[in-house]
Amino acid sequence: MDPFRRRTLELSPSRLVAAARSVLPFIAVLGVALGVHALLYRWQIDDGGVFFYSKILMDIGISIILAVSLTMVNGFTGQFSIGHAGFMAVGAYTGGVVTYYGAMKLFDPANFAAGYLSRSLPMDGPLFGAADGLFLAACLAAGLLAAGLGYLVGLPSLRLRGDYLAIVTLGFGEIVRVIIERSRNVLPDAEAAAKVPAAALPLHVGGASGFTGLQPFTSPFWVILLAGLTVVFAWRLKYSSLGRAMISIREDEIASQSMGVHVTRLKVMAFVVAAFFAGVAGCLYAHQTGIQLTPKDLAFQKSFDIVIMVVLGGMGSISGAVLAAAFVTALPEWLREPTSVWMYGLIALCVVAVFADRRLRAALWVVGLTAGAELLLTVARRAGIELSQYRMIIYALMLILVMIIRPQGLLGLNEVWEIGPFRRLRRTPVAPARGAAAPAGPGGSP
Amino acid sequence: MSLLTVEGVSISFGGLKAVQDFRLSLEPNSLCGLIGPNGAGKTTAFNLLTGVYRPDRGRITLGGRNLAGLRPHQITAAGVARTFQNIRLFPDLSVLDNVKIAGHLRSDAGLFGSIFRARRQRGEERAMTERAMELLAIFNLDGRAGEQARSLPYGDQRRLEIARALATEPRLLLLDEPAAGMNPQEKKGLRELIRGLIRRFDVAVLLIEHDMGVVMDLCQRITVLDHGVIIAEGPPAAIQKDPKVIAAYLGKPAEGEKGEG
Repeated sequence: MDPFRRRTLELSPSRLVAAARSVLPFIAVLGVALGVHALLYRWQIDDGGVFFYSKILMDIGISIILAVSLTMVNGFTGQFSIGHAGFMAVGAYTGGVVTYYGAMKLFDPANFAAGYLSRSLPMDGPLFGAADGLFLAACLAAGLLAAGLGYLVGLPSLRLRGDYLAIVTLGFGEIVRVIIERSRNVLPDAEAAAKVPAAALPLHVGGASGFTGLQPFTSPFWVILLAGLTVVFAWRLKYSSLGRAMISIREDEIASQSMGVHVTRLKVMAFVVAAFFAGVAGCLYAHQTGIQLTPKDLAFQKSFDIVIMVVLGGMGSISGAVLAAAFVTALPEWLREPTSVWMYGLIALCVVAVFADRRLRAALWVVGLTAGAELLLTVARRAGIELSQYRMIIYALMLILVMIIRPQGLLGLNEVWEIGPFRRLRRTPVAPARGAAAPAGPGGSP
Repeated sequence: MSLLTVEGVSISFGGLKAVQDFRLSLEPNSLCGLIGPNGAGKTTAFNLLTGVYRPDRGRITLGGRNLAGLRPHQITAAGVARTFQNIRLFPDLSVLDNVKIAGHLRSDAGLFGSIFRARRQRGEERAMTERAMELLAIFNLDGRAGEQARSLPYGDQRRLEIARALATEPRLLLLDEPAAGMNPQEKKGLRELIRGLIRRFDVAVLLIEHDMGVVMDLCQRITVLDHGVIIAEGPPAAIQKDPKVIAAYLGKPAEGEKGEG
């Protein structure tokens, strides 16, 4: 056995400790999902208005899955994909077919009900229902089919770079949309579905007018669980040898392959994994309350929203993508009834004063932006303009500003805890070298 | 038996014969130089050896294994590592991560093991960090392990690139103009560093270099390329006197001037 392998075994933690630490974050995610779901459910029984916040939370969660998964492609391996909504659409329709026709074919309507965890609104129902299992299966199927397509789209990425790859992914997203638009009407009931061979059922997803009749199984529990799993997945990937190798491709592809990194394999792997999570997000999106699933909502515009989140957050930063996803998703809601921004400006000023590298410059930007936003709000109020209708213009303005102020995005490649004072709090990741005292060849820096 | 044998390797780009009938034989732990005027095809020869280009013709064997036609990462795994003429570090990553990435090819981490941080992966990660830090210590870079690679001074970046190449555990190290842009003191340090490497890491070194002081001082044998063709091969003393080499570097003396200088 070579020395490196032997040393690997020597340094491996004990089985029990390793197993516990391996599953700990997953259990934590499950716990948080259950806890938040229970709280929101309880509150909604007392006050139905809470559902508004519950809905925004679910929107944010789905955006987080999309943004974090795209970070693995655009941020880690540095390929520029702008067709992420295509995978989302594949997932949404796959999930829809599984729950809609699956419920008809596999279950007796009398026994088919959503359990406690699949209800976002307080309604009567059993603790566990057949729908819970079917919905989970739908999310899995959605992810797997999207991942399969991710493999197909990932293959051209081996030969194409930059803009050319972006065009391929864009084309993929549009192809998905057009194919779905050509599909046939949704079959209204089990009787109609029985007349069609099972293999032809996926053709009946409603075309351009949308997939009607999907049930609202998406709940805070599922969204937080799956968003949490996505974040844990991405985080562990980023800080593994595999993830480092992926990031090295983005840093310098030629150097990366010269250092023995299997560039083609990792590029395709990133595509497949990202597509899987986008498919899952699509399934969650399709089963949200108050959503009419139509192909045009999952077209280029949606892909672009996701890219904006990734770029705003910082290419390669998971916490950046999470923050940006929350911000970009909540922004239109806020624009509907904009409140004064002075408060947020003040908070931002405090953050900048503590964290920023060039404080005065950053502080001036914050003051300027706050004043600008306030002016914009005042003008809009006086003129009676509905700002939420100009959402896309505001996004574009934000992107331009980010490119001017921080071209690397909010956090760059870093995570929140890697900047400023947090870095000092963290234990240093650098282990002391064994035998580092051996005299070095001259030529070192003094 | 020689470590690396290159026989009759040629490549052309369109009509341009960039390298023709390139041959080379390297003993284990030897230090050889590849020199030639600008555009002679030195870096192309490196790119052929490391699989960036696929040779049109010829054989490249390392320790008896045929390398011609393999992809770059396979050649690196087989034991050939390189540095680049214009530094190609991973600029946004830390010095430590730069070296650890080069250790990835010895890792057997799959997606599953990485996501669940299997026991083996945890051990592997620690072993990688340890080895990378040892390597950085040898290059006096361990104090800067946490810094971004782009923030290092130029000379340190050059040395980090060599450290990173060595982290792939090569048997043959290709250095593409390691002394470029260095001041005389840094060059002196580099010379001793390269000599030290050969014993310490049990590698053979092939060097492209324009600085004749460095080449003549370090190399046991030198191959001279001009317009993609080998024009001379031998020990430094012979190369210095070779009229073809002098002509390639300084130009041929005009007919009338012959015998005067």
